[in-house]
Amino acid sequence: MIRFVLADLRRLWAASLVIVLLVALATALGVAVTLQERALRLGSARAADKFDLIVGAPGSETQLVLSSVFLQPAALPLMSGDVLTRLTADRRVAWAAPIGFGDNFSGYPIVGTTTALVKGTTTGFTGGRMFALEGEAVVGSGVDLAIGAEVKPMHGAAGEGGETHADSAYTVVGKLQPTGTAWDRAILVPIQAVWHIHGLGEDHHEDEAHEEAGGEEHHHGHIDADAPLVEDFSHDVPGLPAVLVKPKTIADAYALRQAYRAEGGTRAVFPAEVLTSLYATLGDARTVLMYVAYGAQALVAAALMLIAVIHVAQRRRQIGALRAFGAPRLAVFGIVWLELLLLVGIGVGAGFAVGYGAAEFLAGLFTAQSGVRLPVEFSHSDALMAAAFLAVAALMAALPAALAYRQSPVEALRA
Amino acid sequence: MLPLALSDVAISFPGLAEPVLAIDALSIPAGGRLAVTGASGSGKSTFVNLISGLTRPDRGTIAWRDTDIATLSESGRDRWRAANVGLVMQEFHLFPGLAAIDNVLLPARLAHAATAEVKTRALDLLARVGLSRPGQSVETMSRGEMQRVAVARALLRRPGVIIADEPTASLDAEAGAEVGRLLIELADQEGATLIVVSHDERLTERLGRRIRLAAGRVVSDTALEAAR
Ligand SMILES: Nc1ncnc2c1ncn2[C@@H]1O[C@H](COP(=O)(O)OP(=O)(O)OP(=O)(O)O)[C@@H](O)[C@H]1O
Ligand SMILES: [Mg+2]
Repeated sequence: MIRFVLADLRRLWAASLVIVLLVALATALGVAVTLQERALRLGSARAADKFDLIVGAPGSETQLVLSSVFLQPAALPLMSGDVLTRLTADRRVAWAAPIGFGDNFSGYPIVGTTTALVKGTTTGFTGGRMFALEGEAVVGSGVDLAIGAEVKPMHGAAGEGGETHADSAYTVVGKLQPTGTAWDRAILVPIQAVWHIHGLGEDHHEDEAHEEAGGEEHHHGHIDADAPLVEDFSHDVPGLPAVLVKPKTIADAYALRQAYRAEGGTRAVFPAEVLTSLYATLGDARTVLMYVAYGAQALVAAALMLIAVIHVAQRRRQIGALRAFGAPRLAVFGIVWLELLLLVGIGVGAGFAVGYGAAEFLAGLFTAQSGVRLPVEFSHSDALMAAAFLAVAALMAALPAALAYRQSPVEALRA
Repeated sequence: MLPLALSDVAISFPGLAEPVLAIDALSIPAGGRLAVTGASGSGKSTFVNLISGLTRPDRGTIAWRDTDIATLSESGRDRWRAANVGLVMQEFHLFPGLAAIDNVLLPARLAHAATAEVKTRALDLLARVGLSRPGQSVETMSRGEMQRVAVARALLRRPGVIIADEPTASLDAEAGAEVGRLLIELADQEGATLIVVSHDERLTERLGRRIRLAAGRVVSDTALEAAR
């Protein structure tokens, strides 16, 4: 029977190919949506893994997380530098590090921070070492700069263009191991350099407006490349967009969030929590896309039924005649059923491959853009989905197969 | 070889006043030869369908030796036909895309009856009908060759009766003569009863007996000098 089915499909290869393609595309659509949504969730959760608690000025919590964890360029309001002073002194805090934005270099954001954050959020260096002077920089694994390269910061966020800080430059002294986060595409420099370059910190400019969108008036300073690294934030800290806090315990984390949420000038968020609410939105989007995919699948299924029924009708003589020559009735059913199921099976298989490929491709684009690695992976539920597809196909194929089964051999023989 | 005995058989179709076929009594001895002729619409194919178990009469018995196929269920008749009848029709009903040998074996394979012995026999039959390339795809064959593949298929499971409905009508004279000769020769060699519906005088006159149908009735029944 298999041999006959294969010979039959080979003879009707063009139509078979079209059916397989239809099934594959409809399947791939659903698979890609499922995989992509899962990858976005897993990838962003992993990217936010090391970011326990973020403290920033009051404003959008989502924006605070997107800007600090995912380094998405946006104008964050500043909070008083005292917050960092107090956090560093807090006994519930393992370490707290400022995150300062503002400049970029050939599309990579330059982030001012501290050695504590670099140590606390990465697994170490693939080459070179930590910055030790004001004019030194450490780059993420996704930054296409070699150790020793010179970085001339451009004012403004990545992609906005802007003028260079003419007389300032960093030297790359270390390259970090990949972390699969947005920080893989960042150039990390001492926070004091970011302050100095914008004319902050040396004098007590606490009321200084942060200048990321740039435009009006610049307080140009420049970095003192050979100045030693100072990571003492006990007094006179300039305004900051965000501070990453590593609490000592989970209880401390909640206590700190409570403290800095209640306080007037700050806002404290757990990125994981903000992401969870984003996932709900993502889930809604997925649901909508899945309905689109189901719709496409239903259309393909209906088209397939039509093709199958017409096909069987056209071949009723040929198939029915088999019975006259001694083939059992069930074999006639089996041939039609198996042919359809085989085509759908191949289509579903190909659809999973294409869907996986598409999700990988999209994830690759996303990673290139953001640095966040998206893990595209199958789970048990996908096997269930494949099984469900095949079960539905098996049921649907039974209809044309039953038509063939009921075909009278006498009619089939009548010329 | 199987003997056939029909008695009081009639079949009619909805909308027709007269039965399409009505035969009070007809018998053929085991190994007998029968030609069936008659005008178009006289009921010849209906006769073939009845005696091969493809359709069931409204009444009467169609007894092949001890089996009255008029009492069998549809799948029972299917099984009985698969085991006992070799059918050859005007159209060949071969499957394009399959080789000659696979076409011969197809019904047996679908019935899970294609043993090694059956496969050897299929090759042997193809040789006996004069086809030397069992692997040739049937759609590349001439019409005469295709009908010979159909003849080999009909004989595969050593049927007790060979029933042919206009086996030569869609062939040219030469190919038709060859197929007619093969049918008689193989029925002889295999010891099968042979029933052939045909307008082809050259074929029917070589069978021992000829009945003529008109409006569903046997109007003549002649014994012929077997001109072999
Ligand atoms: N299923 C059916 N329903 C109604 N009428 C039928 C049916 N099958 C056959 N008939 C009628 O029965 C008559 C005999 O048909 P049959 O096919 O047996 O003729 P035939 O002798 O084989 O003719 P031909 O030489 O043209 O093949 C015809 O008039 C035909 O229209
Ligand atoms: Mg006829």
